[in-house]
Amino acid sequence: MTEYRVGADIGGTFTDVVFLGSDGTVLAKKIASTPDDYSRAVLDGINACIEELGVSPGSVSEVSHGFTVATNAIIEQKGASTALITTEGFRDILELRRNRVPTLYDLYYQKPPTLVKRQLRLEVRERLNFRGEVLQPLDTADVDEAVQKIKMAGVESVAVCLLHSYANPEHERYIGKVVREQLPDVILTLSSELLPEMKEYERTSTTVINGYVRPVVERYMISLTKGLEEMGVGVPLSVMQSNGGLATSAIAMEKPVYCIESGPAAGVVGAFHLGNRLGMGNLMTLDMGGTTAKASIIENREILQAPEYEVGGGISVGHRLLRGSGHILRVPSIDLAEVGAGGGSIASVDSSGSIRVGPQSSGAVPGPACYQQGGRDATVTDSDVMLGYLNPKHLLGGDFPLDKELAVDAVSRNVASPLGISDIEAAHGIHLLVNSNMARALRAVSSERGRDPRRFVLFSFGGGGPVHAAGLAEMLDITRIVVPPFPGVFSSFGLLVADVEHHFVQTYFKTFDELIVPDLADLLEGLWEQGRKQLSLEGFDDSNQEVVTQVDMKYEGQVSDLTVMMPAGKVTQQTITALGEAYAEEHEKSFGYRTDAPYQLVNLRVIARGHSPVSRVPDRLEIPTLASQDGQAERPVYFGPSNGWLDTKVVDRSGVAGGSNGSSGGSSGASGPLIIEEYDSTTVVPPGWRASVDQWRNIILER
Amino acid sequence: MVQTTDPVTREIVKNALMSAADTMALTVVRTARSAVIKHGMDFSTALFTADGQQVAQGLTLPPHLGSMAPALEGVMNAFGDDVQPGDVFANNDPYEGASHLPDIFLFKPIFANDTLMGWSCCIGHQTDIGGRVAGGNACDNIEIYQEGLILPPLKLYSKGELNQAVWRILEKNVRVPEKVLGDVQALLAAVRFGERDLLRLVDEYGFEELKSYMIDILDTTERLTRAEISNLPQGEWEFSDYIDNDGIDPQPIEIHAKLKIQGDEVFVDFEGTSPQAKGSINPNFAYTKSNVYAVVKCLIDPAIQSNSGFFRPFNITAPEGCFVNPQHPAPVAARGLAGFRICHTMFGAMAKAMPGKVPAAWGGGEIGVSFGGYDKNRKAWVYLEFMNDGPRGGGPNMDGGDGLSSPVLNMANTPIESIEADQPLLIERFGLYPDTGGAGEYRGGLGLIRDYRVLADEAVFQLRSDRTDFLPWGVDGGKPGAPTRNYLNPDTDLEELPGKKLMTLKKGDLYRVIQAGGGGYGDPLKRDVSAVLDDVEQEKLSVPHARDEYGVVIDQDTLKLDQPATEALRAEMAKERRE
Repeated sequence: MTEYRVGADIGGTFTDVVFLGSDGTVLAKKIASTPDDYSRAVLDGINACIEELGVSPGSVSEVSHGFTVATNAIIEQKGASTALITTEGFRDILELRRNRVPTLYDLYYQKPPTLVKRQLRLEVRERLNFRGEVLQPLDTADVDEAVQKIKMAGVESVAVCLLHSYANPEHERYIGKVVREQLPDVILTLSSELLPEMKEYERTSTTVINGYVRPVVERYMISLTKGLEEMGVGVPLSVMQSNGGLATSAIAMEKPVYCIESGPAAGVVGAFHLGNRLGMGNLMTLDMGGTTAKASIIENREILQAPEYEVGGGISVGHRLLRGSGHILRVPSIDLAEVGAGGGSIASVDSSGSIRVGPQSSGAVPGPACYQQGGRDATVTDSDVMLGYLNPKHLLGGDFPLDKELAVDAVSRNVASPLGISDIEAAHGIHLLVNSNMARALRAVSSERGRDPRRFVLFSFGGGGPVHAAGLAEMLDITRIVVPPFPGVFSSFGLLVADVEHHFVQTYFKTFDELIVPDLADLLEGLWEQGRKQLSLEGFDDSNQEVVTQVDMKYEGQVSDLTVMMPAGKVTQQTITALGEAYAEEHEKSFGYRTDAPYQLVNLRVIARGHSPVSRVPDRLEIPTLASQDGQAERPVYFGPSNGWLDTKVVDRSGVAGGSNGSSGGSSGASGPLIIEEYDSTTVVPPGWRASVDQWRNIILER
Repeated sequence: MVQTTDPVTREIVKNALMSAADTMALTVVRTARSAVIKHGMDFSTALFTADGQQVAQGLTLPPHLGSMAPALEGVMNAFGDDVQPGDVFANNDPYEGASHLPDIFLFKPIFANDTLMGWSCCIGHQTDIGGRVAGGNACDNIEIYQEGLILPPLKLYSKGELNQAVWRILEKNVRVPEKVLGDVQALLAAVRFGERDLLRLVDEYGFEELKSYMIDILDTTERLTRAEISNLPQGEWEFSDYIDNDGIDPQPIEIHAKLKIQGDEVFVDFEGTSPQAKGSINPNFAYTKSNVYAVVKCLIDPAIQSNSGFFRPFNITAPEGCFVNPQHPAPVAARGLAGFRICHTMFGAMAKAMPGKVPAAWGGGEIGVSFGGYDKNRKAWVYLEFMNDGPRGGGPNMDGGDGLSSPVLNMANTPIESIEADQPLLIERFGLYPDTGGAGEYRGGLGLIRDYRVLADEAVFQLRSDRTDFLPWGVDGGKPGAPTRNYLNPDTDLEELPGKKLMTLKKGDLYRVIQAGGGGYGDPLKRDVSAVLDDVEQEKLSVPHARDEYGVVIDQDTLKLDQPATEALRAEMAKERRE
């Protein structure tokens, strides 16, 4: 019997479900999300696939899930009522944040509301220093008083975060004990258990968010599991974490902060695994959706991680120096640069005669003008229709017809007329500009980090990614592009190929001179053991466990740290020496110089991965062929002023491999201009590019 | 030779130049050694045309708006044609175009085929620049020579060769050379990235074409700025705001601005401003101008590029020797305070020009503190902190953000746990201070309270603060914010400190600051009663404050609102006011 693994990814507008059979069969469904109860769309989608495939629910062997329930709870402030217990004098840390203002020159900026009201942020007398030494003992009467207040207020969740508790958890543990005794039904999160890491705002915010979303996530997970069981799908549910690793639903319910915004991570993980298959270790991924585009980088077969990110901030310009718009979460996450550039991005002309594209978006409603939902603004999708890149009759296999006349009208009125240029020049200008905005995201993950984008293969997905990939690659001098199978639902595909992964952190603030090797070795042993224990619980035997150690380090006195890999094996003086050299190299690579300042350790990070005994990436994929809906095999497409309109052949993915469009195609593949249309996306192959399809059904574009 | 340019390519080139300036800025953030640069973000990056016009600025500090062009002009005046590939120029001399001594400017000329194509530039505020007092920010210096090492325009690198003499002089004249030299290294890395990225654009577009686009970008920004200015109300308005004193002379300093908006240009004249101060809070004229630009930017489209085109429609004048245009050898180190007050003066005039559009003054009191000394190994330590300027003033239609930075500041605070791990200090309290926001229909934001305890045997403590006498003003009937307060050892033998002070603290001493609150907006008696009650429940306002300032009667024990008593009290207060 063919078994199916199922990936289900909830997005703001659509929920994507992908079935991957043990025989390589793939079925994808894109259905409208159901915000009143997100699990409904997931269950409906799974049901629809089961019916379409004509198989029994019992043939589903696993379900991997990416969800936005926690994110939405934060944005909509619908999390649990939460109280915070903290050190006397510091209850406003949560409200003051790091005090960076994300929009300069804005007289009307307001901070996002805190997740715990001020009167529920309670202080207790106690004080530690950064070494964990007790400067003032915990006042147990204060603890009792705080717990009484919490009892009176009737909250669902309690977060505890004391100053310097990363270095000594005793005071937090005592408070935890009292809370458990006095308030047995309340959900409790201790910062020293969740995140024993220096930096009080980041630790407080993370601890509070965990408490705030945990009841919501629990309810959701329980309801989804129940729904699956009722359907006859009784397999364990895995959840994608922001770091790109899967976790069991038990972990997701206990530490939901690790699973916030898991969808974007899944796409990058999919790229990573397909890239490995193709022998491509250096990839830049571009995920272009309706409102934003997200870029990330995979270098030397490593996904680049960021130690923190913000949730609920919204996108302005995606600028890395304009931080502070959301709530900070200090958990490892795949490093994504996001810009407000998507299919719905609005193009307009300002009073100086400059075109602007985005970050304002027409959203799902009314959407681009050509969606026929009353939108009057010119958007990127409208320009793509005018240029012939998108087939008005083809979106989602023809289920979603577009009106080209409305697109022309919007672009003409909003851009062409004000600039005094032709409609098609305006459409092409919009296309180039949105590419240029996305190029900023790609530069943010490459050149802004000292990496040359030309060394990378562009891995492009999301509904709009393959439309824009070639133009974007030209802008960055990139010569190779991969468009994976099912680019429009690729995040769901990523869910199916991800490994299990857990992260553990412990601050260890010592210079090389101060550290004692056996102490460090013991500390790391403890973290490794935690990781192995977790993996064993999840059924991974020793041979399928991988535990790696990273260290956040800096030169003493420097404010920012860099993360470097620690050599494997027992920690000895040699390990420390090698670590210092690795740091100096990384510093030089990133910033162009090294100094003789002493090395300072900051945090120890342990990553425990559980590998599936058999490869999770299938050897081959069976993709259903789609006939072009109106039988139109050729249409005029505009490729810029130097090429003008070219009659361009339209094929589907299976038509590429042996395809030739009249020019001498070589041994395999086809030369541009060419349009490749599929159920969920369109790939544009401009003149000068060659397209081919490899054995795993990826479209490869080269020039 | 001007080639034809098209609007799409122009935007793409503009994006690429901005990316380049941002790459420079991120390089500085990631490699800097000091908290001032890393968390305080007290630096800026930019790219210039060959003739010294700023064409792209990396995002950072608004008071640096337009400050780099005069410093580059200082370099050009000093060196004329003697600009070679591989050179890197430094300048920190406020009287040769730079800003104040801690701000070191670096300029790298960029050559394409032996022809000067442009300049890659960085400013970074150094933790120390030598001089009388650690941290380079003392208020009570009376001439620039006391403020530290002066680096007039000079070549730090000549044809790729480091000028060892300058490097060694810098190393030996600052108290924390590893931080300062580390930060200068970070700036050097950034100007090199700027050069690399600009040369890539030359490769892509060609020398002449890129030049044309750069000129076109500047002209477009100028057109956009002029169009925005011509939409502002036309006319003339005047306003004065005050600095308590300079820390030496007790008398207040008046900043007087006459604002005229005429057609598509802005005229600002500071005639009527007090003479330059003895102490070092004088802003040099370039800095004065930067702050005027920043205010106007808040009132027009903030997305307008920060390039030289933006500055063209401004006509800013001030008599020589007045406070905002001081002459050599006036000290200028602590001019940050004056910059914020120039903003307040400009916003005050704007509030008259655009009623209903401009909030009340933000508070904060411009607090800059430094602690410094030597550890047991005679190694110097310095901790310099600018407490974020803010909280914001109230209105229109919203309360001022509690403890929130002003709109012209992008500073982050340093984590307390990091400060305590790196410095012999303990931060014992950091939070909002109730009742400090100016009352109003939309109240001013609450100021912050912060306690610093000294753990070293001894520390030189330097305080610069303001708004003890002249409070953050309200608008349209709103009350001013509460004053700044500075205390030594408040819980043992309390001593109230003046706003500006230099003294030695002993181990165990505790310094407390309470920031000035933001001004209020509109009549406090019109404030929504439920908003007052919510503030009281959150312990942001006390019950007596709610009664005395807002006429809202709340029971101290139950925190229940007494509606009839409130109506009666509000009626009575309104009547008293009329009488």
